Amino acid sequence: MKEGFRQAMAWLHTWTGLIFGWLLFAIFLSGTLSYFKEEISHWAQPELRSHALDPLASLGLAQGYLEANAGHSASWMIRLPSEREAALSVGWRDPEGGRRGFVRKSLDAQSGQPVEARDSRGGDFFYRFHFELQMPYPWGRWLSTFCAFIMLLGLVTGIITHKKIFKEFFTFRPGKGQRSWLDGHNAIGVLVLPFHLMISYSSLVLFMYMVMPAGILASYGGNTNGYFNDLFGRDEVPKVANVATPLVPLERLYAKVQEQVPGARIGFIQVQNPGDLNARVTFTQSAADHVAYKRSASWTFDGATGALLNQGAPESAAMMTSFSFAGLHMGNYAGPWLRWLYFVFGVAGTAVIGTGLVMWLGKRQLKHAKSERIPGELRLVEVLNIASMSGLLLAVAAFFWANRLLPVGLEGRANWEINSFFLLWALSLLHAALRPGRRAWGEQLGLGALAFALLPLLNALTTGQGLDHSVAVGDWAMAGFDLTALGTGAFLAWAAAKMLRPPKPVAKRAPRASKASVEAVEVK
Amino acid sequence: MLSIALMGFAGFAALCLAMEKHFSDLLGRKPGRGQLRSLRLAGWLLLLVSLVLSVHQRGWAHGLVEWVAVLMAGVTLWVFGLPYQPRLLLGLAALSLVLGPLLAVFAG
Repeated sequence: MKEGFRQAMAWLHTWTGLIFGWLLFAIFLSGTLSYFKEEISHWAQPELRSHALDPLASLGLAQGYLEANAGHSASWMIRLPSEREAALSVGWRDPEGGRRGFVRKSLDAQSGQPVEARDSRGGDFFYRFHFELQMPYPWGRWLSTFCAFIMLLGLVTGIITHKKIFKEFFTFRPGKGQRSWLDGHNAIGVLVLPFHLMISYSSLVLFMYMVMPAGILASYGGNTNGYFNDLFGRDEVPKVANVATPLVPLERLYAKVQEQVPGARIGFIQVQNPGDLNARVTFTQSAADHVAYKRSASWTFDGATGALLNQGAPESAAMMTSFSFAGLHMGNYAGPWLRWLYFVFGVAGTAVIGTGLVMWLGKRQLKHAKSERIPGELRLVEVLNIASMSGLLLAVAAFFWANRLLPVGLEGRANWEINSFFLLWALSLLHAALRPGRRAWGEQLGLGALAFALLPLLNALTTGQGLDHSVAVGDWAMAGFDLTALGTGAFLAWAAAKMLRPPKPVAKRAPRASKASVEAVEVK
Repeated sequence: MLSIALMGFAGFAALCLAMEKHFSDLLGRKPGRGQLRSLRLAGWLLLLVSLVLSVHQRGWAHGLVEWVAVLMAGVTLWVFGLPYQPRLLLGLAALSLVLGPLLAVFAG
């Protein structure tokens, strides 16, 4: 390969990495947290208790509640409790109530009574932030999709730039300054490459309709809803007949679905025109049951007679391909151990970006090591590095602290949790700007270590559902959150200690790998 | 799935040892003739067998995905653990080499 080409790719890798690295770090971290969206939500709303799963009983409870409270509504939605979600969620369209004309209630899966849980977005906040970046539609989606494109570009240019991808496949040499950072960056990048490629490519597939809308616009004109109706195989719902007819018991329809696909877990159930002759009930199989998203895994019944009307349309090969990418990206199918691996690989992706940012600055700071002050542009990068990495971790901790400390009755409580997140992020930027680089890193990481390590204690004190309780009753989502917070705290404490100690001079020539340390760092 | 993870881990360990630099670093002696080649062959063979087993046990969709996932996890552990605990990891690799196939045979 010509050296000029490789250098051009290295340049592209370096500069797109710097400009988008800060945002990509936040996107990757929030995406990683989103693999535990349900578990985070469970921690954020400890009022919702988990019970043994009993789909039939849950369906009966939901139908009873909706008939009593939402008989006037044209459309109901039911989400059954699952291994990961404790609540039995019901919702209905109501032009006069709720947010955007939709009322949601969380019912206790055993009693069927609504649970007044604290107002919190929980894991949904991180999930939404991951691709909307708290910006109005469609700008956040555009920007995050563009970042996905940059990530893919970064991977490809990174592979081209990496001269010894096979020779140094198993190589990591710690304790050697810049050399170790580059080793770490390369090793996590290469060893987890299938995940990185899948994640960034699939994000483009997920937002294909935004990235390349020409095909859709050409075939459907302005009627993009028609495209989504065709894509997801939705049918038109018949008009209300205005003939009152009782809805068949949903348990009966559930049994019919089980005849079709034994053992199918049901994700959600939609009821159109309940209590009318033209009622329609649609059961959709849980996304946890397949790797790929499947539109065919849904069954529509006549709500008055209980007859099976149709099944979701089968997927074409092209559709299966893109649905597989969507499924792989979101990982809804993953059981506990695979979900943990997803989380670990997400952390790895975040680390690739973080190490890249650190290296960009480290290399350039070396040139100014002897002078008193570093140039303004490098100082700017340093401040942004600190705020976008350790600052973001502090912001995440602030969200969880706010969740436990804000009074339950506070007006707009969920928004205040989010405000705390951004407030602390802004403060961390200010702090990074006021303190010298290493001190700022050390102080923020140290504070982060405390904030995460004390979360389990805070949880125990404010809810009585600390580790002693959650482990005893086997509430592993709650216990897992607390233990992960402890682990994060320990890791941050280790990192903070490294930063607060004076930097030790890097040995010019290590005795064992003397050949390796002579090699220059390739990425310029 | 544990058996597949163990075999994949042992496979990558073999592939790593099949490189002269790592062989002499880890085992403290020069590799003999043909040793590197047999290690490389064994490594690839272990990866291949684990892939076949994974697809056989879990089907194409889950099998492929889970195989890639446990392999990535195993090799990452190997590479980042090696500078700190080389003896422990070598022991783990040897144990995986024995335990992986045993589990595959007896636990299905």
